[in-house]
Amino acid sequence: MATYDWFFNALGLRDWCDASTSEAPMSMADLLAETGNAVEEPFYAIPFPSLDALNEACGQITQTRDVVKGLEEGFLAIRPALRTILDPITQPLSWMLDGTLYLFTQAPWFLIMAMLLLVTWYATRSVSVMLFNAFCLSFFAFVDHFEPAMETLAVILVCMVISAIFGIPIGIAMSKSNRLQRMVIPVLDLLQTLPTFVYLIPLIFLFPIGESRLYGIAITLYAIVPIIRLTDLGIRLVDQDVIEAGNAFGMNARQKLSKVELPLALPNIMAGLNQTIMMSLAMVVIASMVTAPGLGVLVLRGIRNLELGVGLMAGICIVLLAVMLDRTSKAALSRIDRAKSKTS
Amino acid sequence: MKFKLLGALAVVSTIVVGTIAIMSPDMLRKTATSDCGTVSITEMDWASSAVVTAVSKFLMEQGYGCEVQVVPSSTVPALTSLAETGEPDLLTEVWANSTPAYEGLLAEGKLVELTSVLSDGGVEAWWIPAYLAESNPELTTWEGIMANPAAVGGKFNDCPSGWACDIINNNNLIALKAEEGGLERFQHGSGETLQTSIAAAYADKAPWFGYYWAPTAVLGKYPMVAVTVGEYNAEAHTCNGSVDCADPSFSAYPAAKVVTAASQAFVEREPAIAELMKNVTFTNAQMGEVLAWRLDNNASYDEAAVYFLTNNKELWANWLNDEAKGKLAALLK
Repeated sequence: MATYDWFFNALGLRDWCDASTSEAPMSMADLLAETGNAVEEPFYAIPFPSLDALNEACGQITQTRDVVKGLEEGFLAIRPALRTILDPITQPLSWMLDGTLYLFTQAPWFLIMAMLLLVTWYATRSVSVMLFNAFCLSFFAFVDHFEPAMETLAVILVCMVISAIFGIPIGIAMSKSNRLQRMVIPVLDLLQTLPTFVYLIPLIFLFPIGESRLYGIAITLYAIVPIIRLTDLGIRLVDQDVIEAGNAFGMNARQKLSKVELPLALPNIMAGLNQTIMMSLAMVVIASMVTAPGLGVLVLRGIRNLELGVGLMAGICIVLLAVMLDRTSKAALSRIDRAKSKTS
Repeated sequence: MKFKLLGALAVVSTIVVGTIAIMSPDMLRKTATSDCGTVSITEMDWASSAVVTAVSKFLMEQGYGCEVQVVPSSTVPALTSLAETGEPDLLTEVWANSTPAYEGLLAEGKLVELTSVLSDGGVEAWWIPAYLAESNPELTTWEGIMANPAAVGGKFNDCPSGWACDIINNNNLIALKAEEGGLERFQHGSGETLQTSIAAAYADKAPWFGYYWAPTAVLGKYPMVAVTVGEYNAEAHTCNGSVDCADPSFSAYPAAKVVTAASQAFVEREPAIAELMKNVTFTNAQMGEVLAWRLDNNASYDEAAVYFLTNNKELWANWLNDEAKGKLAALLK
């Protein structure tokens, strides 16, 4: 006697329903009833008319498990088509990741350190930041974590570049069109909250597991969200009076974008880039679960093997990497700001 | 004045609803006299362990009147917790060989081994898919694979870093000079990607070669054939289990010891339950059948337990003491 029998009887669907009997496996509740220890449901415990509850009353209604199975089979069916579309698009990501990883791990340590410190200097022109970075890099090398740290750094940098290349144009497009913004914002929410494994495991069906694009996609999809949001925000926040002045000067849309909006939105865009880097680092351990090299592997090993020290040390290195990149990007940002405020 | 009234009404209705919830029959049942108190049991994150937990929970609650608390967990956190805090009370399906920390904890007396819950022992081996074995029978031997590594995909799918099989397989591959022979060792980041790579290979009928273990849902669903490489050699296998093995030589895997563990304090507190758990064992055939049925019917772990309980009554009746048999007499008819 299912709860919703009356509904189907009232609609006269009893014969149609009984044509297919409910093939659900016996549930624990039924077994307990057989034992004589049925859980007495309180009077108010009427089940919601879910698929499973309706299926008990009428065998023709599919169960939730069949819907779930349908999702899986649907995905497997569109797999070949998805593969032909996504394969060429994501191949450059694999090449970039493999190339950068090769560069960062094969070059001798003094070369990499010198290169990184030079880049820091040119970006920030700040001695204190350069010294701090030198200290952090030396610390990694001192505790024999240099190679994993460089692998992680390589992956983060590639994902940051890809996020910037794709995120900023999307953000600009969103700022120009309210409709696009309404469509994209739910997608961004999805990317930030959907558990990564949920879409990563199906991705293994599309790309072989050995490919670096698997974790590249994982990190990029998560980290691209802040830069898109903040670019959109930054451009929308540009003072309308300045835009009007631009119009008065006879600027076309492209000139306004490059000469007025982007420079004024730059603080927000740089904040977005900063957050992108932080979120990529947050994804390091999950990326290692799908075979990314670097510090995440050490963290996972420490967790699995009860080697607490290994996990902690790798975690400290990740934190130092984050602080390094944070300070560098903030110093670079403040330099751009200072340069702007000097000229204005 | 109106708001004060509304506020008071809200408080009163919350109290009423709360009381109804607390006084629900479920809670009332628990205040009845029970021989056994609260038992916490782990539910590990793989299928066979969850089935063991569901079956054990049913028997403990219905036969012995315990209040069972299921703790979702996985091997290393559960072992650590038991060793350091004495909770949870029962650990299901501890794969002793896969956890380097286990033997140490056993020797220190921090946990007690109740029984081998998978009585045949777990099967650990190197596998190729059945369709590959059919089309290329020579690939079922190591010599065949070495003659043509590309036929199995050119790489060996190995366990994630931190599993014992990671060290053992690495040493075995070094002993067999796999790298020189053209077989690359690919280390997966997690057990999930390892099992998904099998599923993905099967979906494409692509070649695959690597390590896996049974009884699992994956090996139940996707038929695989074990590759014969060599025999089990106890000495070599022990050396292979350590990272510092100077001169590894090949050894096949022995049957893996898979145990139910508990704390000494629990055994003293609930001797009847300890006796029950000593009897709860499954052969690989029984567990494999339940797992295969579960996959075919998209069943939950509870439903898989129900399937096992309804189809193996004589088997689990022998696990119970007389009092429990009496309580479950209605089911055992």
